[in-house]
Amino acid sequence: MTSTTITPERVESDAPAATQKGQNVPRKEDRRLVQGEGIFVDDVKRHGMGYIHFVRSPYAHAHITSIDVSKAEELPGVYGTLTGEEVASLTEPFFQLAREPASHLQDYALAVGKVRFVGESIVAVVAETRELARDASELVEIEYDPIAPIVDARMAQGDAPVLHDDAGTNVMWEGSFEWGDLDAAFAEADKIIKIDELHFHRFNSTPLETNGALAEFNRGTGQWTIHCNNQFPGFAAIMMGPALRCGIDKLRFVTQDIGGGFGNKITTHPQLVVCCLLARKLRRPVQWTEWRTDFHMSMSHANERWFLDTEVAVKNDGTLLGFRTKALDDTGAWLRYEPLGCIIWSQVAPGMYRWRNIRVDFTQVATNKAPCSPNRGYSRMQHLWFTERVIDIVAHELDLDPVDVRKLNYVRSDEMPYETPNGCVYDSGDYARMLDLGLELVDYANIDARRADAKARGKLLGLGIGSTLDSGTNNFAQSQLINSDLQFSGNNEVATVKLDIFGEIVVTLGTVPQGQGHETPTSQVVSDILGCSVDDVQVRAGHDSYWNSHAGFSGTYASQFAVTGLGAVKGAADLLAAQIKRLGSAVLGAPIEALELAEGSVRIKDNPEVALPFMACGAIINANNAGLPDDLEDVTLNCRYVYKPPFQVPDLERNFGNLTLTYATQIHVAVIEVDPETGYYDIVDYAAVDDCGKRINPRIVEGQVMGATALALGAATWEIYAYDEDGNLLTPNFYDYHVPHALDMPPLKTADIESPSPFTPLGTKGMGEGGGAGIHAICAAVQDALRGNGDAIVADSHNPYHKVWELLEHPAEAGGHVSVVNA
Amino acid sequence: MEASAPAVSTSRSITVTINGTTYEREVEARKLLIHFIRDDLDLTGSHIGCDTGNCGACSVIVDGTLVKSCMMLAVQADGASIETVEGLADGEELNKLQTAFRSNHALQCGYCTPGMLMSATALLRSNPTPSEGEIKKALQGNICRCTGYWNIFKAVKEASGQ
Amino acid sequence: MLLREVGYARPESLGEAIQLLAADDGARALAGGQTLINVMKARAGSPDALVDLSRIEELRGIELAGDGTLEIGAMTTYSQIMASSEARARPILGEVCAQIADVQVRNRGTIGGNICTSDPTNHLPPLLAALGAEMVIYGAAGERVVAADEFFLGVYMTAVGTGEVLTKIRVPAGRSDGFAAVTLGIEGTCIASAAASINGSVKLALGCVDAVPVVLAPASVAADDVRAAVQAADFFPPSDVHASSEYRTHLAEVLAVRAVAQASEKTKG
Repeated sequence: MTSTTITPERVESDAPAATQKGQNVPRKEDRRLVQGEGIFVDDVKRHGMGYIHFVRSPYAHAHITSIDVSKAEELPGVYGTLTGEEVASLTEPFFQLAREPASHLQDYALAVGKVRFVGESIVAVVAETRELARDASELVEIEYDPIAPIVDARMAQGDAPVLHDDAGTNVMWEGSFEWGDLDAAFAEADKIIKIDELHFHRFNSTPLETNGALAEFNRGTGQWTIHCNNQFPGFAAIMMGPALRCGIDKLRFVTQDIGGGFGNKITTHPQLVVCCLLARKLRRPVQWTEWRTDFHMSMSHANERWFLDTEVAVKNDGTLLGFRTKALDDTGAWLRYEPLGCIIWSQVAPGMYRWRNIRVDFTQVATNKAPCSPNRGYSRMQHLWFTERVIDIVAHELDLDPVDVRKLNYVRSDEMPYETPNGCVYDSGDYARMLDLGLELVDYANIDARRADAKARGKLLGLGIGSTLDSGTNNFAQSQLINSDLQFSGNNEVATVKLDIFGEIVVTLGTVPQGQGHETPTSQVVSDILGCSVDDVQVRAGHDSYWNSHAGFSGTYASQFAVTGLGAVKGAADLLAAQIKRLGSAVLGAPIEALELAEGSVRIKDNPEVALPFMACGAIINANNAGLPDDLEDVTLNCRYVYKPPFQVPDLERNFGNLTLTYATQIHVAVIEVDPETGYYDIVDYAAVDDCGKRINPRIVEGQVMGATALALGAATWEIYAYDEDGNLLTPNFYDYHVPHALDMPPLKTADIESPSPFTPLGTKGMGEGGGAGIHAICAAVQDALRGNGDAIVADSHNPYHKVWELLEHPAEAGGHVSVVNA
Repeated sequence: MEASAPAVSTSRSITVTINGTTYEREVEARKLLIHFIRDDLDLTGSHIGCDTGNCGACSVIVDGTLVKSCMMLAVQADGASIETVEGLADGEELNKLQTAFRSNHALQCGYCTPGMLMSATALLRSNPTPSEGEIKKALQGNICRCTGYWNIFKAVKEASGQ
Repeated sequence: MLLREVGYARPESLGEAIQLLAADDGARALAGGQTLINVMKARAGSPDALVDLSRIEELRGIELAGDGTLEIGAMTTYSQIMASSEARARPILGEVCAQIADVQVRNRGTIGGNICTSDPTNHLPPLLAALGAEMVIYGAAGERVVAADEFFLGVYMTAVGTGEVLTKIRVPAGRSDGFAAVTLGIEGTCIASAAASINGSVKLALGCVDAVPVVLAPASVAADDVRAAVQAADFFPPSDVHASSEYRTHLAEVLAVRAVAQASEKTKG
């Protein structure tokens, strides 16, 4: 039904183009950023502001028996402190998305009575300088009574110590999902492939700028202004308003430039509440900048997930009929945005494959580790990795080529839009074609020669494929699937476009860019609709709740800007265009159909000399409006639009319904060479192919693909949040948590196709999160390299050199345990 | 007979020239150069991204040498001449590197960019026509989480006129 | 990453530096700061006072003597070693310095600081041990020389005592050297390392596997003899998030063979 297109002709922006969409317009943001004139949250200063330092728990699990802040408060230059006891009396615990019994969690902005992970904040100290706040924090005396910690999710049930007595269990959510007919699928199978354990490791995207905020309290109006880098203020406001017992409009979020988010800047509402309380208590602005170490220890780890006792029903030719598995999700010490991860994976329940019979028994447990919250690819990445591992393991066990097994089982482009077993709709795509493009880029046809050449040099060559979907624009009704009492559904985003008194076009966005360059594609869309140049469109930098006062879901997360953000921009620009034409019609005396917007005016198509420039429009409506016709009453030239994607509430009984609007695709192919003596490996060739529908700014899209690829390669080889048995984080900084540096980058080849989405205003799809494919590709490449060299099964998403060496030396122990049963 | 050693002091007055402007300030000995630049002098273009000297967001040029200013004390910069990102452009006119970063989409969030630009500036001064391998080595001390670096390498190559 | 209050002095001469260090037990020499300042930022160690050695001329410079011995001032930076034509008399020095961290660190970090830190993962302790370097230490009692084999006493502990300063590193003549490492990311922190030098006989030093470099004398350059020497050696590699003890032990063997092979190649040149 949808057609895929070959990479379209692109005209560089210097030449006149019929449309700005699809052009590589240089980013508006860049001029200030390359001069160091961006405004990031730590750049914002206020006279008399105090600096916060958090005192954090050294224990993974302990009762707090006493807190004494008196010595800290006596230090000259200290403005004050805040403790959990104060927080508990001044605020309500944060709203929990979970149903019983986890709904009883008492989550406050500071630890109350107990600490549950190393790095949890207990006391906040505010002082005149950063150094003094740090000094004073050492004078806070806290006594603890340690409890045994749980650091392995597999040990969190049974008679394990319970983190939250209010819940009475470490099980934060559990449920079963079943679609299709598992019994029939397993009966029809030729073979059943059993995989004991697959494990997706804990890491996150470590944006270079950490979280931060500067909070001010207006005593006269009760208004808080929070300069921050929170990327989802809609969510933060909903969490903070009830907690602070204030109206939601009393929380004004202001952001400008944000140094990366990747989902890791969503759940800072506890720290922001601390800032707000202190700003009010101390009667001065209060500033917090998170230390790198604090970020690693406490912020937004990606879900760690086990897939246990997986069984896959297959035919001898590699056709996949169905699978069942037990997913065990480790969510850390608190539910911050969780347990939504327990359902969000189901946006891609079958992965990219056509099997119709699926069962997942999903359990989420709390452990004494940092709370998990969204990270690029949130919850889908873990599940997609699982499906990709299954494909490769099936291929391995049946001695088939993983390329063939994929092509046999991929959803086909002529089946799009494709309804999955649980009612999600894959809007468009051509996976097989993308796989071919990727394979061509790494010269797959000659892979055997490359393998032989590597072998002659003493190296083991491996080729691996990672295919992934980036499901974007959420239907928040999926939250009802994990808690039917929740009152969230649909999605929205807001934008305003106005024509000012001198004809300036000004756009405000509800979105919160952290490097995705929203100002630029926004200008491109608006300039097309209003017939002006991109440079004539001013887009206010960042987000300010004052500008357009929420849509409930305002923010930038979950791969949706190109749909929701640009949908709102298009809607507002269309409204403005219509208003300009109505004004033009009245002033120029021509019917609306005869008019066009071009070159910054409204004019008669057949007689373009007869024109009303935007400056005149703006002036008339804003300052010179006497005697205008009555039917122009509602023409304000200041248009607000809330884009709402077309969603329904799913069937809560069957867990069935459309959960996301768009599905972008990325397929990566990695070629590695392993040094069998050390387990060290080099990526010698790498291809990333993407499809995100219509691309408004292709270079920005490609930048997202590259960045996500780099994050994935880091996670695959080096990045892990590893804990010791006492719950201490072993990788709390960039020294031990190695992220890719310049010398680590392999050669990269890219290609793209465009399969427009039939469901979105511009045919675009959100695409910020698809790079998880890199993890899948590296796992597959490692396993391929080990074929005939121990044949270890890669069962973990994290494969540093020492792991690869272990897989070579002890394949049975270090690798996955797989058995094949004839059905 | 040795002259008596200079006094040990926990704070002192320092004179620092940054991008051609000279500042005289009293600072604690413990203050890091990056905090002095950002907090005392309001030059917030140089950034902080880590605690351990790994990320390079704080990179500046001190007396012609590229350093990470989070691993220097402000007092060590007494008498020094420092260049930061704010000094790269000539008024409104971006320099070649800045222009090349822009045209090659070598920045997304822009947080690592000032440090990258200073490292690239130092590179091109000592090696006006670097190879890709030399560019990578020169930028090894600057972490980027958004771009994957590939466009940054292209931008530096382009700025070098190759 | 904020330091505790600390005193600071910047002496102009070695004598002044010694005086300051001797006067206060809690005073520490500040070289390039690429380790010490990070330690202080983490508040893992907080000296009372920092004695900044950067103005002391006697600690800088590289001299090449007639017999080929290099005398390297302790405050010489890695970048200066890499750029020095004198240091090319022992090429391995520049080659290894070029692998340390990144340009910014190499511009400030010093050879003296690297070895006085005596961090088991540092590059220069095993290298200088393999090269048979000598460390010149100056204190109130005058100058003394300590061989590399006796210089490294433990993690963060060396033969430099209170009131003393490492002034020079003497490296004998030679070119048949090798260095091999597995690192956390390319040119990152060492997970395991080995340095080898051939001067008639083979001198091998293993890094990262014990508190101090493990110095060995394999019977010959043959891979079997190298492995036998490593296997017979008495060391206890730590297990940490980057490597198990077993893996480090294995790497020590592999890297020892590679370092000796590199050195051996150069004897033929």
